[in-house]
Amino acid sequence: MLLELKDIHKRFGGVAALRGAHLAVAAGEIHLLLGENGAGKSTLMKILAGMLSPDSGRIVWQGREVRFARPADAAANGIAMVHQESLLAPHLTVAENIFLGREPRLPLGFVSRRKMQEAAARLIEEHHFPLQAGWRVEKLSPAGKQLVEICRAIQHGSSLLIFDEPTASLSESETREVFGIVQRLAERNVAVIYITHRLEELRAIGHSVTILRDGETVHTGPLAELPTDRIIHLMAGRELATVYERRPLAPGEELLRVEKLTRKPAIEDISFRIRAGEIVGLAGLVGAGRTELCRALFGIDAVDGGRIFLAGREVHIRSPRDAVRAGLALIPEDRQRAGLATLLPLGQNLTAANLAAISRFGFIDRSAEQAAAARYIERLRIRAEGPRQLAGRLSGGNQQKVVIAKWLFRQARVFLFDEPTRGIDVGAKAEVFEVMDELARAGAAILMVSSEMAELISVADRILVMRQGRIAGELARPATQEAILRYATLEHAAALEEQAE
Amino acid sequence: MIQRLLPFLTLILLFAGLTLASPYFLTPTNLASVIRQTAVINTMALGMTMIIIAGGIDLSVGSILAFSGLMGTMAMEAGLPIWQGVGIGLISGLFCGFVNGALTVKLRINPFIVTLGTLGIVRGVTLIISNGLPVHRIPQGFAFLGEGNVLGVPFVLWILLGCAGATHLILERTRLGRYTYAIGSNTDAAFYTGIPVGFHTIAVYAISGLLCGLAGMIEASRLMTGQPTAGQGYELQVIAAVVIGGGSLRGGEGSVVGTLVGAFIMGLLANGSDLLGISPYLQQAIIGSVIILAVTVDELRKRKLA
Repeated sequence: MLLELKDIHKRFGGVAALRGAHLAVAAGEIHLLLGENGAGKSTLMKILAGMLSPDSGRIVWQGREVRFARPADAAANGIAMVHQESLLAPHLTVAENIFLGREPRLPLGFVSRRKMQEAAARLIEEHHFPLQAGWRVEKLSPAGKQLVEICRAIQHGSSLLIFDEPTASLSESETREVFGIVQRLAERNVAVIYITHRLEELRAIGHSVTILRDGETVHTGPLAELPTDRIIHLMAGRELATVYERRPLAPGEELLRVEKLTRKPAIEDISFRIRAGEIVGLAGLVGAGRTELCRALFGIDAVDGGRIFLAGREVHIRSPRDAVRAGLALIPEDRQRAGLATLLPLGQNLTAANLAAISRFGFIDRSAEQAAAARYIERLRIRAEGPRQLAGRLSGGNQQKVVIAKWLFRQARVFLFDEPTRGIDVGAKAEVFEVMDELARAGAAILMVSSEMAELISVADRILVMRQGRIAGELARPATQEAILRYATLEHAAALEEQAE
Repeated sequence: MIQRLLPFLTLILLFAGLTLASPYFLTPTNLASVIRQTAVINTMALGMTMIIIAGGIDLSVGSILAFSGLMGTMAMEAGLPIWQGVGIGLISGLFCGFVNGALTVKLRINPFIVTLGTLGIVRGVTLIISNGLPVHRIPQGFAFLGEGNVLGVPFVLWILLGCAGATHLILERTRLGRYTYAIGSNTDAAFYTGIPVGFHTIAVYAISGLLCGLAGMIEASRLMTGQPTAGQGYELQVIAAVVIGGGSLRGGEGSVVGTLVGAFIMGLLANGSDLLGISPYLQQAIIGSVIILAVTVDELRKRKLA
């Protein structure tokens, strides 16, 4: 074996990202690494690439146990990673990026631009990439940047390349191009570990597969022997019912109605309605426009057209302030960046959207604030030392509850949850769902964006599926992953036909 | 906890050390002069505390001080009563602060750049208006602001305590204060929470400008001159006071009490060096070292927390 990862463990604060992951790769093998969001794929690969160090476990490389303290160590051993988000220096040229950190030197330590330029040009030509060595990277498309990352990895003469979902931002022809490159690499006896979410694209190229679930390896072996249903089953694991099962309730009056909301090119002609007590799921692949829809609804991005009605009354939302006033609440995808003030105490985060409620004569009533915080800590079962604990020191699940509590305190009625369980432990996920269910029972309307289809299926009353900025279809309970995927990936007409049958 | 108290301990040790080292230190005259000397920087540092908590910075405070002082003294020279002159000084400062805030918010330019620009603009305007010449014909009564005593202590101490109390109250007990911390801690989150980020950012700069205006009048009163070149380089002392007192240039952190401690540490260092005959050249290096030391200790504390 070229590489063996054995029993790798890694925790981030209170969250276990990996707990006993293992995999083995031979030279010239294309090894697929599968798993749901948050299963630990990227963490495992970052450990292999020297970007993170494991809490425990062993990395055996070409028969020797190794430890990578930094990416350069992994690179020196011939392991390189093509990242999901570009880690290039945008102001430098393609050639400069390819050779970044290992520039060809002239005497006295000067960089030989000419050699660099020539070598880069050769490399690009050899692989028929639509690039030129002298182009500035910032001008390139996401696909172009991906290709530069690939060049960089190849140039280092790596014997193992890690691709972290390289096709997420690529078009179909670009995807085929990347597959071609991967295959050519394998023919030259380079091993490839390929992370993907897309089941349909992997059969074309993979030799073997490792499936991670909740930080553990649940299956590893040849791909050909594994039917796709089995893969889905292994990825999702326990039937989600065991994690959470929601009893649907009779919906009340309409709370949110959206008509032909458009913000080109991200979203187009979006119309739907949500009634009080309803949880409506929003599914779709990366880039389908789900987050953009939430942002547009919440007034973060200006829309080109469309109308929004809350409880039957049309509202004009041009900023988050308007949205909050109208009774909307956004629980954003990236809590740390957009949801919480991590340096401030939990209590202050909780009351931030509704300070008027605890102010008297323009001054904040501290005791009212503490009381409110204590009330919501108890109501949402937030595990914290108390209202004075810094929000940043809570676990992911409890941080999420603080964000939800903030909106409860504001008495919001329509909640937009964008990936509410991202980066949260399995146990805490069920708790977040319980809170959502309680909200619905108290008469809230909920739109829940999630990439985890199993979650949508078990939590949502209805599921809207987006594709390329439009709503491609709507599924009633009980929905299936296959049905969601069909709408999310196939042409609209084809999906309609399927439905007619 | 010990590290959080470190600025206080430093201040107390410095005080005790200077008391022992120099017989002249713990005298009413010397202490009053320390208070008068630091009053200007202290007052400005209160406003800077709010700005830094909000994640901003204002490099133009020294220029605002000179502009306000000049406008106020010119008004008095023109025959307006003292209180109106002071009012004009305050309004001038408020206006400059408002412009800083509005430019930062509306142009969406980094406040470092905006205020680097207004530092030059405001100074230039001040020099043009005054033709580079100081204003001297000021009513005698105006000296009371900077040099007078009330109940046996310098009047400026009462002013400083009043401003510090008000700033503290704003930061701890009002929506403006809460939003200041929220904006500095996480601007995106504050915006998504429906907080009017732009309005509050401008308000914070305007309040700081007002305090710079007040500082300008105090400075003018102490010198009995409207000096167009006053306050050059003050911005660095002001920022240093905030930072020594635990303010973070990344925003979200800082306090009035911390800033006052920081400003007095610098004031005592300067005063002590004078009393002990340490060269002013060395003084600068000492203060510089204290800044780095204070921030290092604070960073280590935070890293331990994280």
